[in-house]
Amino acid sequence: MTSGRKWTDGVEGVLLDITGVLYESGESEAIQGSIDAVKRLKDAGLPVRFCTNETTCTRQVLVDKLKRLGFTDMKPEEVFPPIPAMCQVLKERGLRPHLLIHPSALADFGDVATDNPNCVVVGDAIDEFSYANLNKTFQTLISLDKPILFSLGKGRYYKDGGNLVLDVGSFSRALEYACDVEAEIVGKPSAIFFNTAVKNMGLSADKVVMVGDDIVSDVGGALESGMRGVLVRTGKYRSKDENHPTVKPSAIVKNLAEAVDILIKSRKPWDGLAELA
Amino acid sequence: MVLLGILRLMLIQRKLNATSRIVCQDFLSTMAVAKVRTVLVDLSGTLHVDAEEIPGSIDAVNRLSQSGVNLKFVTNTTKESKRCLLDRLTSIGFNVQPSQIFTSLTAARHLIERMEVRPFLMLDRRALEDFEGLDTTNPNAVVIGLAPEDFNYQTMNKAFRLIMDGAALVAIHKARYYKRTDGLALGPGPFVTALEYATDTKADVVGKPEKSFFLSAVEEFKCQPEECVMIGDDVRDDIGGAMATGMFGILVKTGKYRDGDENKIDPKPTYIADNFSGAVDYILQKL
Repeated sequence: MTSGRKWTDGVEGVLLDITGVLYESGESEAIQGSIDAVKRLKDAGLPVRFCTNETTCTRQVLVDKLKRLGFTDMKPEEVFPPIPAMCQVLKERGLRPHLLIHPSALADFGDVATDNPNCVVVGDAIDEFSYANLNKTFQTLISLDKPILFSLGKGRYYKDGGNLVLDVGSFSRALEYACDVEAEIVGKPSAIFFNTAVKNMGLSADKVVMVGDDIVSDVGGALESGMRGVLVRTGKYRSKDENHPTVKPSAIVKNLAEAVDILIKSRKPWDGLAELA
Repeated sequence: MVLLGILRLMLIQRKLNATSRIVCQDFLSTMAVAKVRTVLVDLSGTLHVDAEEIPGSIDAVNRLSQSGVNLKFVTNTTKESKRCLLDRLTSIGFNVQPSQIFTSLTAARHLIERMEVRPFLMLDRRALEDFEGLDTTNPNAVVIGLAPEDFNYQTMNKAFRLIMDGAALVAIHKARYYKRTDGLALGPGPFVTALEYATDTKADVVGKPEKSFFLSAVEEFKCQPEECVMIGDDVRDDIGGAMATGMFGILVKTGKYRDGDENKIDPKPTYIADNFSGAVDYILQKL
Protein backbone atom coordinates (compact mmCIF):
# COMPACT_ATOMS: atom_id res chain seq x y z
CA MET A 1 0.00 0.00 0.00
CA THR A 2 1.38 3.41 -0.88
CA SER A 3 1.59 6.68 1.10
CA GLY A 4 -0.52 6.09 4.17
CA ARG A 5 -3.31 4.25 2.43
CA LYS A 6 -4.58 1.47 4.67
CA TRP A 7 -5.19 -2.06 3.38
CA THR A 8 -8.82 -1.72 4.41
CA ASP A 9 -9.51 1.47 2.39
CA GLY A 10 -12.17 0.95 -0.26
CA VAL A 11 -12.53 -2.80 0.35
CA GLU A 12 -15.97 -3.93 -0.81
CA GLY A 13 -15.54 -7.69 -0.95
CA VAL A 14 -13.51 -10.48 0.64
CA LEU A 15 -11.97 -13.70 -0.69
CA LEU A 16 -11.07 -16.34 1.87
CA ASP A 17 -8.85 -19.39 1.61
CA ILE A 18 -10.40 -22.41 3.34
CA THR A 19 -7.78 -24.82 4.73
CA GLY A 20 -5.57 -23.06 7.26
CA VAL A 21 -7.91 -20.02 7.49
CA LEU A 22 -11.31 -21.50 8.39
CA TYR A 23 -9.96 -24.76 9.87
CA GLU A 24 -6.61 -26.53 10.34
CA SER A 25 -5.85 -29.44 8.02
CA GLY A 26 -6.69 -32.72 9.73
CA GLU A 27 -8.51 -31.04 12.64
CA SER A 28 -12.21 -31.44 13.30
CA GLU A 29 -12.77 -27.94 14.70
CA ALA A 30 -12.84 -24.50 13.14
CA ILE A 31 -10.00 -22.07 13.92
CA GLN A 32 -11.03 -19.96 16.91
CA GLY A 33 -13.18 -16.98 15.94
CA SER A 34 -13.39 -17.86 12.26
CA ILE A 35 -17.05 -18.98 12.24
CA ASP A 36 -18.08 -15.70 13.86
CA ALA A 37 -15.72 -13.73 11.56
CA VAL A 38 -17.40 -15.02 8.38
CA LYS A 39 -20.80 -14.19 9.88
CA ARG A 40 -19.73 -10.65 10.80
CA LEU A 41 -18.49 -10.00 7.26
CA LYS A 42 -21.84 -11.04 5.81
CA ASP A 43 -23.78 -9.04 8.43
CA ALA A 44 -21.76 -5.97 7.47
CA GLY A 45 -22.98 -6.36 3.89
CA LEU A 46 -19.58 -7.44 2.54
CA PRO A 47 -19.80 -10.19 -0.08
CA VAL A 48 -17.57 -13.19 0.73
CA ARG A 49 -16.27 -15.93 -1.58
CA PHE A 50 -14.05 -18.89 -0.76
CA CYS A 51 -11.08 -19.72 -2.99
CA THR A 52 -9.50 -23.14 -2.53
CA ASN A 53 -7.22 -25.49 -4.45
CA GLU A 54 -9.06 -28.50 -3.02
CA THR A 55 -9.49 -31.15 -5.75
CA THR A 56 -9.79 -34.34 -3.73
CA CYS A 57 -13.56 -34.08 -3.20
CA THR A 58 -16.59 -32.51 -4.86
CA ARG A 59 -17.69 -28.98 -4.02
CA GLN A 60 -20.78 -30.34 -2.25
CA VAL A 61 -18.71 -32.63 0.00
CA LEU A 62 -16.48 -29.70 0.89
CA VAL A 63 -19.47 -27.46 1.71
CA ASP A 64 -21.03 -30.21 3.84
CA LYS A 65 -17.78 -30.56 5.76
CA LEU A 66 -17.65 -26.79 6.42
CA LYS A 67 -21.26 -26.85 7.62
CA ARG A 68 -20.42 -29.64 10.04
CA LEU A 69 -17.52 -27.53 11.34
CA GLY A 70 -20.04 -24.73 12.14
CA PHE A 71 -20.08 -22.57 9.01
CA THR A 72 -23.78 -23.24 8.80
CA ASP A 73 -24.90 -20.82 6.09
CA MET A 74 -22.17 -21.82 3.60
CA LYS A 75 -23.56 -22.11 0.05
CA PRO A 76 -21.94 -24.14 -2.76
CA GLU A 77 -22.07 -21.15 -5.13
CA GLU A 78 -19.85 -19.15 -2.74
CA VAL A 79 -17.08 -21.77 -2.93
CA PHE A 80 -14.56 -21.65 -5.80
CA PRO A 81 -12.48 -24.80 -6.18
CA PRO A 82 -10.48 -25.36 -9.41
CA ILE A 83 -12.68 -28.02 -11.01
CA PRO A 84 -15.74 -25.85 -11.88
CA ALA A 85 -13.36 -23.20 -13.29
CA MET A 86 -11.58 -25.96 -15.24
CA CYS A 87 -14.90 -27.17 -16.70
CA GLN A 88 -15.63 -23.60 -17.83
CA VAL A 89 -12.24 -23.36 -19.59
CA LEU A 90 -12.75 -26.74 -21.28
CA LYS A 91 -16.17 -25.64 -22.52
CA GLU A 92 -14.95 -22.27 -23.79
CA ARG A 93 -12.04 -23.83 -25.68
CA GLY A 94 -13.90 -26.91 -26.90
CA LEU A 95 -11.45 -29.29 -25.20
CA ARG A 96 -11.99 -32.91 -24.21
CA PRO A 97 -9.71 -33.84 -21.31
CA HIS A 98 -7.88 -36.97 -20.30
CA LEU A 99 -8.38 -36.75 -16.52
CA LEU A 100 -5.82 -37.70 -13.90
CA ILE A 101 -7.76 -36.76 -10.78
CA HIS A 102 -9.00 -38.37 -7.59
CA PRO A 103 -12.15 -40.51 -8.11
CA SER A 104 -13.91 -38.61 -5.27
CA ALA A 105 -13.80 -35.41 -7.35
CA LEU A 106 -14.87 -37.00 -10.63
CA ALA A 107 -18.54 -36.09 -10.20
CA ASP A 108 -17.74 -32.37 -10.53
CA PHE A 109 -16.64 -32.94 -14.12
CA GLY A 110 -20.25 -33.97 -14.77
CA ASP A 111 -21.04 -34.14 -18.45
CA VAL A 112 -17.62 -33.06 -19.76
CA ALA A 113 -16.81 -35.25 -22.78
CA THR A 114 -13.62 -37.27 -22.26
CA ASP A 115 -13.64 -39.44 -25.38
CA ASN A 116 -10.84 -38.94 -27.91
CA PRO A 117 -9.06 -36.46 -25.60
CA ASN A 118 -7.17 -33.40 -26.89
CA CYS A 119 -5.76 -32.14 -23.56
CA VAL A 120 -4.75 -33.42 -20.13
CA VAL A 121 -6.03 -32.26 -16.72
CA VAL A 122 -4.10 -33.20 -13.56
CA GLY A 123 -5.47 -32.71 -10.04
CA ASP A 124 -4.33 -34.03 -6.67
CA ALA A 125 -4.94 -37.70 -7.45
CA ILE A 126 -3.27 -38.93 -4.22
CA ASP A 127 -2.68 -42.70 -4.53
CA GLU A 128 -4.02 -42.65 -8.06
CA PHE A 129 -0.58 -41.23 -8.95
CA SER A 130 0.59 -44.71 -9.98
CA TYR A 131 3.13 -45.42 -12.72
CA ALA A 132 0.38 -46.92 -14.88
CA ASN A 133 -1.88 -43.86 -14.52
CA LEU A 134 0.94 -41.35 -15.00
CA ASN A 135 2.18 -43.28 -18.03
CA LYS A 136 -1.25 -43.36 -19.62
CA THR A 137 -1.55 -39.62 -19.05
CA PHE A 138 1.94 -39.09 -20.52
CA GLN A 139 1.14 -41.20 -23.60
CA THR A 140 -2.02 -39.19 -24.23
CA LEU A 141 -0.17 -35.89 -23.82
CA ILE A 142 2.82 -36.75 -26.01
CA SER A 143 0.61 -38.10 -28.79
CA LEU A 144 -1.15 -34.72 -29.19
CA ASP A 145 -0.07 -32.48 -32.08
CA LYS A 146 -0.06 -29.58 -29.65
CA PRO A 147 0.17 -30.94 -26.11
CA ILE A 148 -2.01 -28.99 -23.66
CA LEU A 149 -1.52 -29.69 -19.96
CA PHE A 150 -3.67 -28.20 -17.20
CA SER A 151 -2.61 -28.41 -13.56
CA LEU A 152 -5.24 -27.78 -10.87
CA GLY A 153 -2.97 -25.70 -8.65
CA LYS A 154 0.84 -25.96 -8.51
CA GLY A 155 1.51 -26.87 -4.87
CA ARG A 156 4.72 -28.77 -4.10
CA TYR A 157 3.56 -30.64 -1.01
CA TYR A 158 1.24 -30.41 1.96
CA LYS A 159 0.76 -31.96 5.37
CA ASP A 160 -1.66 -34.84 5.63
CA GLY A 161 -2.31 -36.54 8.95
CA GLY A 162 1.06 -35.34 10.29
CA ASN A 163 3.06 -36.47 7.23
CA LEU A 164 4.33 -34.38 4.34
CA VAL A 165 3.02 -35.69 1.01
CA LEU A 166 3.63 -34.67 -2.59
CA ASP A 167 1.05 -32.31 -4.09
CA VAL A 168 -0.26 -32.04 -7.64
CA GLY A 169 2.41 -29.52 -8.68
CA SER A 170 5.19 -32.08 -8.32
CA PHE A 171 3.45 -34.58 -10.58
CA SER A 172 2.46 -32.01 -13.19
CA ARG A 173 6.12 -30.90 -13.14
CA ALA A 174 7.04 -34.53 -14.04
CA LEU A 175 4.68 -34.41 -17.04
CA GLU A 176 5.98 -30.97 -18.05
CA TYR A 177 9.52 -32.34 -18.11
CA ALA A 178 8.54 -35.56 -19.93
CA CYS A 179 6.74 -33.73 -22.75
CA ASP A 180 8.72 -30.48 -22.68
CA VAL A 181 5.58 -28.37 -22.18
CA GLU A 182 4.49 -25.79 -19.63
CA ALA A 183 1.30 -26.49 -17.71
CA GLU A 184 -1.49 -23.94 -17.57
CA ILE A 185 -2.49 -23.46 -13.95
CA VAL A 186 -6.17 -23.45 -13.08
CA GLY A 187 -6.48 -22.64 -9.39
CA LYS A 188 -4.50 -20.38 -7.10
CA PRO A 189 -2.22 -18.45 -7.79
CA SER A 190 -3.61 -17.92 -11.31
CA ALA A 191 -5.12 -14.45 -11.82
CA ILE A 192 -7.78 -15.88 -14.14
CA PHE A 193 -8.88 -18.17 -11.33
CA PHE A 194 -9.04 -15.39 -8.71
CA ASN A 195 -10.91 -13.14 -11.12
CA THR A 196 -13.71 -15.66 -11.58
CA ALA A 197 -14.54 -15.27 -7.88
CA VAL A 198 -13.99 -11.50 -7.95
CA LYS A 199 -16.35 -11.06 -10.92
CA ASN A 200 -18.91 -13.27 -9.22
CA MET A 201 -19.16 -10.61 -6.49
CA GLY A 202 -19.73 -7.95 -9.15
CA LEU A 203 -16.51 -6.18 -8.14
CA SER A 204 -13.15 -5.29 -9.61
CA ALA A 205 -9.93 -6.72 -8.14
CA ASP A 206 -8.82 -3.40 -6.59
CA LYS A 207 -11.85 -3.45 -4.26
CA VAL A 208 -11.21 -6.95 -2.94
CA VAL A 209 -8.94 -8.39 -0.25
CA MET A 210 -7.79 -12.01 -0.20
CA VAL A 211 -7.01 -13.60 3.17
CA GLY A 212 -4.88 -16.74 3.19
CA ASP A 213 -2.14 -18.75 4.92
CA ASP A 214 0.01 -19.44 1.83
CA ILE A 215 2.42 -16.57 1.24
CA VAL A 216 2.99 -17.45 -2.43
CA SER A 217 -0.23 -19.00 -3.65
CA ASP A 218 -2.75 -16.89 -1.67
CA VAL A 219 -1.02 -13.60 -0.91
CA GLY A 220 1.37 -13.45 -3.86
CA GLY A 221 -1.34 -14.56 -6.28
CA ALA A 222 -3.80 -11.98 -4.90
CA LEU A 223 -1.30 -9.12 -5.21
CA GLU A 224 -0.42 -10.19 -8.77
CA SER A 225 -4.13 -10.18 -9.59
CA GLY A 226 -4.56 -6.57 -8.40
CA MET A 227 -6.14 -7.36 -5.02
CA ARG A 228 -4.81 -6.74 -1.55
CA GLY A 229 -3.36 -9.83 0.10
CA VAL A 230 -3.48 -10.45 3.86
CA LEU A 231 -1.46 -13.22 5.49
CA VAL A 232 -2.80 -15.02 8.57
CA ARG A 233 -0.52 -16.63 11.14
CA THR A 234 -2.51 -19.88 11.07
CA GLY A 235 -2.44 -22.99 8.87
CA LYS A 236 0.79 -23.57 6.96
CA TYR A 237 2.14 -20.10 7.96
CA ARG A 238 5.81 -20.12 9.05
CA SER A 239 7.58 -17.09 10.59
CA LYS A 240 10.02 -16.98 7.64
CA ASP A 241 7.02 -16.16 5.38
CA GLU A 242 7.12 -12.63 6.83
CA ASN A 243 10.49 -12.05 5.16
CA HIS A 244 9.61 -13.54 1.80
CA PRO A 245 12.05 -12.23 -0.85
CA THR A 246 9.38 -11.11 -3.33
CA VAL A 247 5.92 -11.23 -1.74
CA LYS A 248 5.12 -8.35 0.64
CA PRO A 249 1.65 -8.84 2.18
CA SER A 250 -0.69 -5.84 2.54
CA ALA A 251 -1.00 -6.90 6.19
CA ILE A 252 -0.07 -9.78 8.46
CA VAL A 253 -2.61 -10.69 11.15
CA LYS A 254 -3.00 -13.25 13.91
CA ASN A 255 -5.93 -15.01 12.31
CA LEU A 256 -9.09 -14.42 10.28
CA ALA A 257 -10.93 -12.99 13.31
CA GLU A 258 -8.31 -10.23 13.67
CA ALA A 259 -8.44 -9.40 9.94
CA VAL A 260 -12.21 -9.03 10.16
CA ASP A 261 -11.99 -6.91 13.36
CA ILE A 262 -9.70 -4.44 11.61
CA LEU A 263 -11.74 -4.41 8.41
CA ILE A 264 -15.10 -3.84 10.11
CA LYS A 265 -13.75 -1.16 12.48
CA SER A 266 -12.40 0.75 9.48
CA ARG A 267 -15.77 0.83 7.73
CA LYS A 268 -17.46 4.25 7.44
CA PRO A 269 -21.18 4.51 8.20
CA TRP A 270 -21.93 5.06 4.51
CA ASP A 271 -19.88 2.07 3.25
CA GLY A 272 -22.19 -0.43 1.62
CA LEU A 273 -24.97 2.12 1.04
CA ALA A 274 -24.69 1.69 -2.71
CA GLU A 275 -25.71 -1.93 -2.32
CA LEU A 276 -28.81 -0.98 -0.38
CA ALA A 277 -29.88 1.72 -2.81
CA MET B 1 41.60 2.32 -7.38
CA VAL B 2 41.60 -1.20 -5.95
CA LEU B 3 38.42 -1.89 -7.90
CA LEU B 4 40.05 -0.63 -11.10
CA GLY B 5 43.01 -2.88 -10.49
CA ILE B 6 40.78 -5.91 -10.06
CA LEU B 7 38.91 -5.04 -13.23
CA ARG B 8 42.17 -4.75 -15.18
CA LEU B 9 43.35 -8.09 -13.81
CA MET B 10 40.05 -9.70 -14.87
CA LEU B 11 40.48 -8.30 -18.36
CA ILE B 12 44.03 -9.62 -18.69
CA GLN B 13 42.93 -13.01 -17.43
CA ARG B 14 40.12 -13.10 -19.97
CA LYS B 15 42.53 -12.37 -22.80
CA LEU B 16 44.86 -15.08 -21.59
CA ASN B 17 41.98 -17.57 -21.42
CA ALA B 18 40.91 -16.68 -24.93
CA THR B 19 44.41 -17.27 -26.30
CA SER B 20 44.87 -20.55 -24.51
CA ARG B 21 41.48 -21.69 -25.79
CA ILE B 22 42.51 -21.12 -29.38
CA VAL B 23 45.79 -22.98 -28.87
CA CYS B 24 43.87 -25.77 -27.17
CA GLN B 25 41.46 -26.18 -30.04
CA ASP B 26 44.28 -26.47 -32.56
CA PHE B 27 45.85 -29.02 -30.34
CA LEU B 28 42.62 -30.97 -29.96
CA SER B 29 41.87 -31.05 -33.64
CA THR B 30 44.46 -33.79 -34.05
CA MET B 31 45.64 -36.53 -31.77
CA ALA B 32 49.06 -36.59 -33.42
CA VAL B 33 50.91 -34.93 -30.57
CA ALA B 34 49.06 -36.70 -27.81
CA LYS B 35 49.95 -39.99 -26.26
CA VAL B 36 46.75 -42.01 -25.96
CA ARG B 37 46.85 -44.19 -22.87
CA THR B 38 43.19 -45.02 -22.32
CA VAL B 39 40.34 -45.85 -24.70
CA LEU B 40 36.70 -45.74 -23.60
CA VAL B 41 34.21 -47.63 -25.76
CA ASP B 42 30.43 -47.42 -25.84
CA LEU B 43 28.60 -50.75 -26.16
CA SER B 44 25.21 -50.79 -27.88
CA GLY B 45 25.36 -49.22 -31.34
CA THR B 46 29.17 -49.13 -31.30
CA LEU B 47 30.28 -52.76 -30.76
CA HIS B 48 26.98 -54.50 -31.36
CA VAL B 49 23.28 -54.01 -32.13
CA ASP B 50 21.19 -56.30 -29.96
CA ALA B 51 22.90 -59.73 -30.20
CA GLU B 52 24.78 -58.98 -33.45
CA GLU B 53 28.41 -57.90 -33.68
CA ILE B 54 28.98 -54.78 -35.80
CA PRO B 55 31.35 -56.38 -38.36
CA GLY B 56 35.05 -56.20 -37.44
CA SER B 57 34.43 -55.12 -33.83
CA ILE B 58 35.54 -58.35 -32.09
CA ASP B 59 38.85 -58.26 -33.95
CA ALA B 60 39.23 -54.51 -33.33
CA VAL B 61 38.80 -54.98 -29.56
CA ASN B 62 41.54 -57.63 -29.65
CA ARG B 63 43.88 -55.38 -31.63
CA LEU B 64 43.32 -52.58 -29.13
CA SER B 65 43.97 -54.89 -26.15
CA GLN B 66 47.23 -56.12 -27.70
CA SER B 67 48.44 -52.56 -28.25
CA GLY B 68 48.76 -52.13 -24.49
CA VAL B 69 46.32 -49.22 -23.94
CA ASN B 70 43.91 -49.23 -21.02
CA LEU B 71 40.52 -50.28 -22.27
CA LYS B 72 37.14 -49.67 -20.68
CA PHE B 73 33.62 -50.27 -21.90
CA VAL B 74 31.25 -47.55 -20.74
CA THR B 75 27.47 -47.41 -21.01
CA ASN B 76 24.39 -45.75 -19.60
CA THR B 77 22.20 -48.43 -18.14
CA THR B 78 19.82 -48.38 -15.24
CA LYS B 79 18.59 -51.94 -15.27
CA GLU B 80 21.36 -54.17 -16.56
CA SER B 81 24.02 -55.19 -14.06
CA LYS B 82 27.66 -55.54 -15.07
CA ARG B 83 27.31 -59.32 -15.12
CA CYS B 84 24.33 -59.08 -17.44
CA LEU B 85 26.29 -56.88 -19.89
CA LEU B 86 29.37 -59.11 -19.66
CA ASP B 87 27.29 -62.21 -20.47
CA ARG B 88 25.92 -60.55 -23.59
CA LEU B 89 29.34 -59.38 -24.82
CA THR B 90 30.89 -62.79 -24.18
CA SER B 91 28.09 -64.63 -25.95
CA ILE B 92 28.55 -62.40 -29.02
CA GLY B 93 32.24 -63.34 -28.98
CA PHE B 94 33.94 -60.34 -27.37
CA ASN B 95 36.93 -60.86 -25.12
CA VAL B 96 36.13 -58.62 -22.15
CA GLN B 97 37.05 -58.77 -18.44
CA PRO B 98 34.48 -57.88 -15.74
CA SER B 99 36.72 -55.07 -14.45
CA GLN B 100 36.66 -53.45 -17.90
CA ILE B 101 32.96 -52.65 -17.71
CA PHE B 102 31.93 -49.28 -16.27
CA THR B 103 28.25 -48.28 -16.26
CA SER B 104 26.16 -45.46 -14.87
CA LEU B 105 25.30 -47.88 -12.06
CA THR B 106 29.02 -48.30 -11.29
CA ALA B 107 29.35 -44.52 -11.29
CA ALA B 108 26.43 -44.24 -8.86
CA ARG B 109 28.07 -46.79 -6.55
CA HIS B 110 31.36 -44.91 -6.67
CA LEU B 111 29.57 -41.68 -5.76
CA ILE B 112 27.68 -43.30 -2.88
CA GLU B 113 30.89 -44.80 -1.50
CA ARG B 114 32.69 -41.48 -1.79
CA MET B 115 29.83 -39.64 -0.05
CA GLU B 116 29.72 -42.36 2.62
CA VAL B 117 25.92 -42.46 2.60
CA ARG B 118 23.33 -45.21 2.99
CA PRO B 119 21.14 -45.31 -0.13
CA PHE B 120 17.42 -45.86 -0.58
CA LEU B 121 17.56 -47.61 -3.97
CA MET B 122 14.77 -46.97 -6.47
CA LEU B 123 16.18 -49.33 -9.09
CA ASP B 124 15.18 -52.23 -11.26
CA ARG B 125 15.69 -55.50 -9.38
CA ARG B 126 18.21 -56.68 -11.99
CA ALA B 127 20.39 -53.66 -11.20
CA LEU B 128 20.48 -54.27 -7.44
CA GLU B 129 23.35 -56.77 -7.61
CA ASP B 130 25.68 -53.92 -8.58
CA PHE B 131 24.92 -52.40 -5.16
CA GLU B 132 25.42 -55.53 -3.07
CA GLY B 133 27.25 -55.03 0.19
CA LEU B 134 26.18 -51.40 0.72
CA ASP B 135 24.48 -50.48 3.98
CA THR B 136 20.90 -49.51 3.13
CA THR B 137 19.48 -49.28 6.65
CA ASN B 138 18.15 -45.92 7.86
CA PRO B 139 18.88 -44.34 4.44
CA ASN B 140 20.27 -40.82 3.99
CA ALA B 141 20.45 -40.78 0.18
CA VAL B 142 17.99 -41.54 -2.62
CA VAL B 143 19.22 -43.24 -5.81
CA ILE B 144 16.85 -43.27 -8.78
CA GLY B 145 17.13 -45.29 -11.96
CA LEU B 146 14.45 -46.66 -14.24
CA ALA B 147 12.19 -48.36 -11.72
CA PRO B 148 8.53 -48.30 -12.77
CA GLU B 149 7.65 -50.49 -9.78
CA ASP B 150 8.85 -47.72 -7.44
CA PHE B 151 7.32 -44.82 -9.33
CA ASN B 152 4.12 -44.77 -7.28
CA TYR B 153 2.64 -42.39 -4.72
CA GLN B 154 3.83 -44.27 -1.61
CA THR B 155 7.44 -44.81 -2.69
CA MET B 156 7.73 -41.33 -4.18
CA ASN B 157 6.49 -39.88 -0.86
CA LYS B 158 9.05 -41.95 1.03
CA ALA B 159 11.84 -40.61 -1.19
CA PHE B 160 10.42 -37.07 -0.88
CA ARG B 161 10.43 -37.18 2.94
CA LEU B 162 13.99 -38.55 3.03
CA ILE B 163 15.17 -35.65 0.85
CA MET B 164 13.23 -33.15 2.98
CA ASP B 165 15.14 -34.61 5.97
CA GLY B 166 18.42 -33.90 4.20
CA ALA B 167 19.08 -37.00 2.05
CA ALA B 168 21.05 -36.47 -1.18
CA LEU B 169 19.32 -37.17 -4.49
CA VAL B 170 21.34 -39.21 -7.03
CA ALA B 171 19.96 -39.88 -10.52
CA ILE B 172 21.42 -42.61 -12.75
CA HIS B 173 20.28 -40.43 -15.64
CA LYS B 174 17.41 -38.06 -16.45
CA ALA B 175 15.95 -39.55 -19.64
CA ARG B 176 12.44 -38.24 -20.31
CA TYR B 177 11.04 -41.45 -21.75
CA TYR B 178 12.00 -44.68 -23.45
CA LYS B 179 10.54 -47.01 -26.03
CA ARG B 180 8.72 -50.12 -24.93
CA THR B 181 7.00 -52.73 -27.07
CA ASP B 182 3.66 -51.11 -26.14
CA GLY B 183 4.80 -47.57 -26.96
CA LEU B 184 6.60 -44.76 -25.15
CA ALA B 185 6.92 -44.94 -21.38
CA LEU B 186 8.09 -42.49 -18.71
CA GLY B 187 11.80 -42.65 -17.89
CA PRO B 188 13.42 -41.73 -14.56
CA GLY B 189 13.85 -38.05 -15.54
CA PRO B 190 10.27 -36.93 -14.86
CA PHE B 191 10.28 -38.55 -11.41
CA VAL B 192 13.67 -37.06 -10.54
CA THR B 193 12.32 -33.68 -11.68
CA ALA B 194 9.19 -34.09 -9.53
CA LEU B 195 11.35 -34.65 -6.44
CA GLU B 196 13.65 -31.76 -7.38
CA TYR B 197 10.61 -29.46 -7.66
CA ALA B 198 8.99 -30.68 -4.43
CA THR B 199 12.15 -30.33 -2.36
CA ASP B 200 13.76 -27.38 -4.18
CA THR B 201 17.01 -29.32 -4.70
CA LYS B 202 19.13 -30.49 -7.65
CA ALA B 203 19.93 -34.12 -8.28
CA ASP B 204 23.47 -35.39 -8.82
CA VAL B 205 23.29 -37.04 -12.25
CA VAL B 206 25.94 -39.74 -12.69
CA GLY B 207 25.59 -41.17 -16.23
CA LYS B 208 26.91 -39.96 -19.61
CA PRO B 209 27.31 -37.11 -20.63
CA GLU B 210 28.31 -35.89 -17.13
CA LYS B 211 32.00 -35.07 -16.73
CA SER B 212 32.07 -36.97 -13.45
CA PHE B 213 31.10 -40.15 -15.34
CA PHE B 214 34.07 -40.01 -17.70
CA LEU B 215 36.51 -39.00 -14.98
CA SER B 216 35.28 -41.74 -12.69
CA ALA B 217 35.65 -44.33 -15.50
CA VAL B 218 39.38 -43.57 -15.98
CA GLU B 219 40.18 -42.85 -12.33
CA GLU B 220 42.05 -46.15 -11.72
CA PHE B 221 44.44 -45.50 -14.64
CA LYS B 222 45.72 -42.26 -13.13
CA CYS B 223 45.87 -40.58 -16.54
CA GLN B 224 44.84 -37.12 -17.65
CA PRO B 225 41.68 -36.52 -19.74
CA GLU B 226 43.87 -35.46 -22.70
CA GLU B 227 45.37 -38.96 -22.69
CA CYS B 228 41.92 -40.56 -23.20
CA VAL B 229 39.74 -41.24 -26.24
CA MET B 230 36.02 -42.01 -26.20
CA ILE B 231 34.49 -43.98 -29.09
CA GLY B 232 30.70 -43.98 -29.46
CA ASP B 233 27.65 -43.56 -31.71
CA ASP B 234 25.87 -40.89 -29.62
CA VAL B 235 27.26 -37.50 -30.61
CA ARG B 236 26.01 -35.71 -27.48
CA ASP B 237 26.18 -38.27 -24.68
CA ASP B 238 29.38 -40.04 -25.83
CA ILE B 239 31.39 -37.55 -27.85
CA GLY B 240 30.14 -34.18 -26.56
CA GLY B 241 30.36 -35.37 -22.95
CA ALA B 242 33.89 -36.82 -23.31
CA MET B 243 35.20 -33.77 -25.18
CA ALA B 244 33.74 -31.40 -22.58
CA THR B 245 35.78 -33.38 -20.05
CA GLY B 246 38.95 -32.76 -22.09
CA MET B 247 39.12 -36.14 -23.83
CA PHE B 248 39.27 -36.90 -27.55
CA GLY B 249 36.04 -38.12 -29.14
CA ILE B 250 35.63 -40.44 -32.12
CA LEU B 251 32.13 -40.69 -33.55
CA VAL B 252 31.20 -43.92 -35.34
CA LYS B 253 28.61 -44.00 -38.11
CA THR B 254 26.76 -47.03 -36.71
CA GLY B 255 23.94 -47.57 -34.20
CA LYS B 256 21.92 -44.42 -33.60
CA TYR B 257 24.21 -42.26 -35.80
CA ARG B 258 22.26 -40.10 -38.28
CA ASP B 259 23.66 -38.03 -41.16
CA GLY B 260 24.95 -34.70 -39.92
CA ASP B 261 25.17 -35.71 -36.25
CA GLU B 262 28.83 -34.57 -36.23
CA ASN B 263 27.65 -30.97 -36.72
CA LYS B 264 25.49 -31.01 -33.61
CA ILE B 265 28.37 -30.38 -31.21
CA ASP B 266 30.98 -27.68 -30.94
CA PRO B 267 33.86 -28.41 -31.01
CA LYS B 268 33.29 -31.13 -33.63
CA PRO B 269 34.32 -34.75 -32.97
CA THR B 270 38.09 -35.31 -33.14
CA TYR B 271 37.53 -37.92 -35.86
CA ILE B 272 34.57 -39.57 -37.59
CA ALA B 273 34.96 -43.28 -38.42
CA ASP B 274 32.75 -45.55 -40.51
CA ASN B 275 32.64 -48.02 -37.64
CA PHE B 276 34.47 -49.17 -34.51
CA SER B 277 37.11 -50.99 -36.52
CA GLY B 278 37.87 -47.79 -38.42
CA ALA B 279 38.14 -45.88 -35.13
CA VAL B 280 40.67 -48.40 -33.81
CA ASP B 281 42.71 -48.15 -37.07
CA TYR B 282 42.88 -44.38 -36.56
CA ILE B 283 44.00 -44.68 -32.92
CA LEU B 284 46.64 -47.34 -33.67
CA GLN B 285 48.06 -45.20 -36.50
CA LYS B 286 48.40 -42.23 -34.15
CA LEU B 287 49.92 -44.15 -31.24
